[in-house]
Amino acid sequence: MTTAPAPASARPRRRRVPAAPYLFILPYLLIFAVFWAWPILSSFLLSFRDSRLGEGAPLGTANWSRLLGDEFFRTALRNTLVILAVQVPLMLALATALAVALNSRLLRLRGLFRFAFFAPLVVGTVAYSAVFRLLFNSDFGMVNRTLTGLGLPAVDWLNQPLPAMSVIILALLWRWTGYNAIILLAGLQGIPEDVYEAAALDGASPWQQFWRITLPLLRPTLLFCLVLSIIGTLQLFTEPALITNSGPGNATMTLGTYLYQQGFRSFNFGYASAIAYTVAAIAAVFSAIQLRLFGRDT
Amino acid sequence: MKRFALLSLLALAPAAAAQSSTLSGTVTIWSWDVAAKALQSTVPGFNRKYPNVKVEVVDLGNQNVYDRGLAGCAAGGADLPDIYSIENNEAEVFWARFPNCFTDLNTLGADRLVRNFPAFKWTELTAGGKRFAMPWDSGPVVMFYRRDLYQQAGVNPASIRTWDDFIAAGRRVNTQFGGRVKMATIANGQDDEWFRMLANQNGCFYFDNAGQQVTVARPGCVTALNTIKRLYDANVVATGDWGGQITNVKAGRTASAMFGAWYEGTIRTNAPDQRGKWGVYLMPASRAGGPRASNLGGSALAIPASSRNKAAAYAFLEHALATAGGQATMLRSQGLVPSLLAATRDPYVAQPQPYWGNQRIWQTILGTLGDVPQARGTQYFQDARQIMIVTQADFLKGRYRTAQEALQDAARKISSATGLPVAR
Repeated sequence: MTTAPAPASARPRRRRVPAAPYLFILPYLLIFAVFWAWPILSSFLLSFRDSRLGEGAPLGTANWSRLLGDEFFRTALRNTLVILAVQVPLMLALATALAVALNSRLLRLRGLFRFAFFAPLVVGTVAYSAVFRLLFNSDFGMVNRTLTGLGLPAVDWLNQPLPAMSVIILALLWRWTGYNAIILLAGLQGIPEDVYEAAALDGASPWQQFWRITLPLLRPTLLFCLVLSIIGTLQLFTEPALITNSGPGNATMTLGTYLYQQGFRSFNFGYASAIAYTVAAIAAVFSAIQLRLFGRDT
Repeated sequence: MKRFALLSLLALAPAAAAQSSTLSGTVTIWSWDVAAKALQSTVPGFNRKYPNVKVEVVDLGNQNVYDRGLAGCAAGGADLPDIYSIENNEAEVFWARFPNCFTDLNTLGADRLVRNFPAFKWTELTAGGKRFAMPWDSGPVVMFYRRDLYQQAGVNPASIRTWDDFIAAGRRVNTQFGGRVKMATIANGQDDEWFRMLANQNGCFYFDNAGQQVTVARPGCVTALNTIKRLYDANVVATGDWGGQITNVKAGRTASAMFGAWYEGTIRTNAPDQRGKWGVYLMPASRAGGPRASNLGGSALAIPASSRNKAAAYAFLEHALATAGGQATMLRSQGLVPSLLAATRDPYVAQPQPYWGNQRIWQTILGTLGDVPQARGTQYFQDARQIMIVTQADFLKGRYRTAQEALQDAARKISSATGLPVAR
């Protein structure tokens, strides 16, 4: 198919038109360049500078070679991956169960429950971290009081590596399960009712309906939750910083708290930038893998 | 000679008077908590000398002062106060990263005051021949103890001269109280304060005094780490973080506590009901006759280069920090331990303190100031500290065969984190 050439008189006008929209978004582009693009680029350059030597330090790969041999970085990475492997699947399973329950027509006061499970997200992070510290206090915490009340041994929650990690994971579960459940609930409500009716007519049990209909149709929403949770976990900072202070030792140090420690406690911005870029790269790789594995035909 | 002195006095007098009346304007100070209150308590005295200078002490909290100082220096000195509070341990990070952010106090006359403070206090405040801050309070280490608990266990604090004596006393306390009361609480996995106090006592630290080498594997530090292991293995100490230590003090689960002398206020305000039950003695030595002094913590005051009122700011520094009256005022109001040597002769220091069983504790504490060995945090303090916290916890857990081996590993890690070589 061929199109007739535009009349000569229209051409110059068509060329002039595009300038106006760009002019309108120019303020945004300028702000984006100055406050987004430049810092991102600048921090990349910074990762090649030993910022501890002062302003005029030459470019080099000192930070990157330190990162390769840094035991603390490996500890932080390992801790982050442990949280990722334990907390994220646990949370998504719980959130799915919760979403299905909240979606049930048998449930009364649905609105109240939905709000109750979403509420943890509204609570200030500092406040909730302080509450968790108190709950898990070895001597006076409610958790140990309950344990000893039941005749079980008290646990030194915040001063032992494994219990400290469990507290972090529990805190994350408390805070984020409801949020994911609400997103999954929206996904559930997008599944047409007649699919279930047809399945019921064919004699499918509720259990079969869940595995054969709900889960497959919920996949895009689950994938969305998974990608967000993984990126969130890779940046995890608040809970280990405020509940356990990365301790005991480095038992709950995450990539986020190590980045903060290097950047704002040791003032080593060059090294902190190298860590930040590594975290971003890991997040990108994880997201790409997930989209490839689970993202087909969605 | 006498005439000469008189003449110089006559020459100086009008100059001083002129200075008092010409200085004017506002001086803002950033500080934190009790330290801010202590500075505030010196303002009336300052205003008697300099009535035209208005002093505004802003209590931002410790972390905020540090963070906003960092932001201000990174922004080329924007939005900084006229006087900036800085902890000695963290001071060198500022001098190293932002050497132009603060005024060289020598240009304002601080070089004349050098000998008025103990040498160890200046170590971290000078860099590249510049004197960036004036010593403020210090943390001479002492052992705080419960008179009643010691007495019940038949322990005489005067007989505890070495760590061996301390462990022996701990065994008696364990027997007396069936293990419910320990001699002290040490941080393990949260901090390495005990290691730093003991290392400093033995003339060792993470880095040498030139800040050029990693010295954490040297004999003094090995002795320090070994002592901690012996205390731990003998089961005479409990472990706990900052909050846990205070809890143990309040609940009477520990018979003593070792810290910088600023901990005096912490005990007194957290356990007011234990008035009269506490006392103080010098930290035990590593060997008979060895040094019984060390330092933990302490702060300084600096004048940002961007201050528009440097002369007035410096006048305040001199009044609050370099006069015995100023320092004694802060000691009296908030228990801030002076760095100024002359402050040890202030009458208040010789007074018995009711909370401490009428013991003249400030004489005991300040008497150690001159014996504290020098140590330097350097700009790598936080890196080294993080590594030592983990090394100590691993060593106590039995991950290393000897303290020497543990510290060599720590030295290697500190070296790779900082780029400084390990001392041979």
